[in-house]
Amino acid sequence: MERYWNQEMECASPEVMKKLQDERLVAQVKHVYENVKYYRDLMDEKGVKPEDIKGTEDLRKLPFLSKADLRDAYPFGLLAKPLSECVRIHSTSGTTGRRVVAFYTQNDIDLWDECCARAITAAGGTNEDVCQVAYGFGLFTGGAGLNGGSHTVGCLTLPMSSGNTDRQIQFMQDLGATILCCTPSYAAYIGETIHEMGISPDDLKLKAGIFGAEPWTEEMRRSIEKSLGIKAYDIYGLTEISGPGVAFECSEQNGMHINEDNFIAEIIDPETGEPLPDGEVGELVFTSITKEAFPLLRYRTRDLCRLTRGKCSCGRTLVKMAKPMGRSDDMMIIRGVNVFPSQIETVLIEQGYSPNYLIEVDRVNNSDTLDISVEMNPDQFSDKVKDMQKQERELAEAIKTMLGINPKVHLVSPKSITRSEGKAVRVIDRRKLHD
Amino acid sequence: MANARQISVFVDNRPNQLAGVMRLIKDKGINVRALSLADTKDFGILRLIANDTDKTVDTLKEAGYPVTVTEIVAISIPDTPGQLSRALDVLGGEGVNLEYLYAFLGKSDRSVSFVIRVDDVENASAALNKAGIIQLTENDISEM
Repeated sequence: MERYWNQEMECASPEVMKKLQDERLVAQVKHVYENVKYYRDLMDEKGVKPEDIKGTEDLRKLPFLSKADLRDAYPFGLLAKPLSECVRIHSTSGTTGRRVVAFYTQNDIDLWDECCARAITAAGGTNEDVCQVAYGFGLFTGGAGLNGGSHTVGCLTLPMSSGNTDRQIQFMQDLGATILCCTPSYAAYIGETIHEMGISPDDLKLKAGIFGAEPWTEEMRRSIEKSLGIKAYDIYGLTEISGPGVAFECSEQNGMHINEDNFIAEIIDPETGEPLPDGEVGELVFTSITKEAFPLLRYRTRDLCRLTRGKCSCGRTLVKMAKPMGRSDDMMIIRGVNVFPSQIETVLIEQGYSPNYLIEVDRVNNSDTLDISVEMNPDQFSDKVKDMQKQERELAEAIKTMLGINPKVHLVSPKSITRSEGKAVRVIDRRKLHD
Repeated sequence: MANARQISVFVDNRPNQLAGVMRLIKDKGINVRALSLADTKDFGILRLIANDTDKTVDTLKEAGYPVTVTEIVAISIPDTPGQLSRALDVLGGEGVNLEYLYAFLGKSDRSVSFVIRVDDVENASAALNKAGIIQLTENDISEM
């Protein structure tokens, strides 16, 4: 039987949810306008006053915020509460420029914990469970979010952080962990290591995993589920909006329910900024309607996905977002074609290869090159060069069918591509270095 | 008659890869009798015949190398002009397809040995036998 953490919200009727969102949005816009000069200036520039926003249908009147705004406003420009009321910060990894810092009041933390508690409950977690949190702790939201959610549910929490895989596995066995929370690439690595150590999934008590913070494919889900003997649930979030738990998967494992009582989701055309109807693929935009310290209105996530409404078989009415096809910053344009690493990963797993791979993009004589290093499958190893080259050709052919462009595939030794304990580095784009 | 087994190992095309394999083999006191390295731009396939096939395979697998074992034909022919040509004619005459071959040190300085990888070991072996060409078993090679 499906269990809910907050049935009233998770299964609210559309009318009830709309009314709640309307009230919260109106109050939030007023709060932001009064306390955040940066956004007030944007609204004034657009000629929008808080009184113009009467409900969710007026959302489109509000200006967007982008990551560039967050960088401009660093560190305090989007803060809506005095620092004396803030209790914590978190920060993005800052790989592509200045870090983004988000602030939390105690109430913000409590609401975030509840969002993660809903995710853990949807994955079958109760206070009887032992929840191993192997996301990184620290500025990264992964560890703190699931740790908080696990406490809220009342699970015995193992705040492992990422890394030290031998110790992860030892605690998993000795303390009987039933739920594992980490990035999907780290889950795959733990699964691989368990098999190397000769441990069978039957020797573990694990039943579920909550994996997020990086894009992963359906094929990777099945492979992790098999290697760890669990059901694997996706979770979505971003530091700018709170962290993991903005959306979570239910037993249907088909899209993630957005915690709409806290975050209003829109899909827009990334080119024009115009809202798109439900079901169409576009850029996901979030408006925080309960956050106090760092309330972002119409924040463009650069994640491309679609929304679907309607009652889910799990009983929840919360709108569902499909697994993002990729963050628009993950998208590479190679020879004019849009390429997501997740597409390549799908082909690799379908063809029986490990989901550990490295994509290298470069520009030689004004033409883009795409090189993909793939760990060879030891079961397919042949002493004949032509057989091995045939494997490379067939894989290149399958990737070409998926992407529409010809890659060069390089088979390398198993386990020779660096495993990640946090977010995996899959792409090296050398074209940027030449600019 | 029992043909010899050849061990093939996948090695990355990077410095120190072959050295790593040979170091492992050395540490186990294994003697390599015959060896060839096929290279592509991405990787190499090291083929070897050792004096202890099972121990070599276990050692390499334990170290995480992709390994495969294939049956090959090994011949020993007089070190005079035309001998290899004759042996190949025998195989060609039987319609045996040859994948690759490599020479290795034989028992005496008057003969020379070859590892021949064919698609049909049974047929190749019977044809060579009929033509009176000496074939080496795994035991023969390990005792060389």
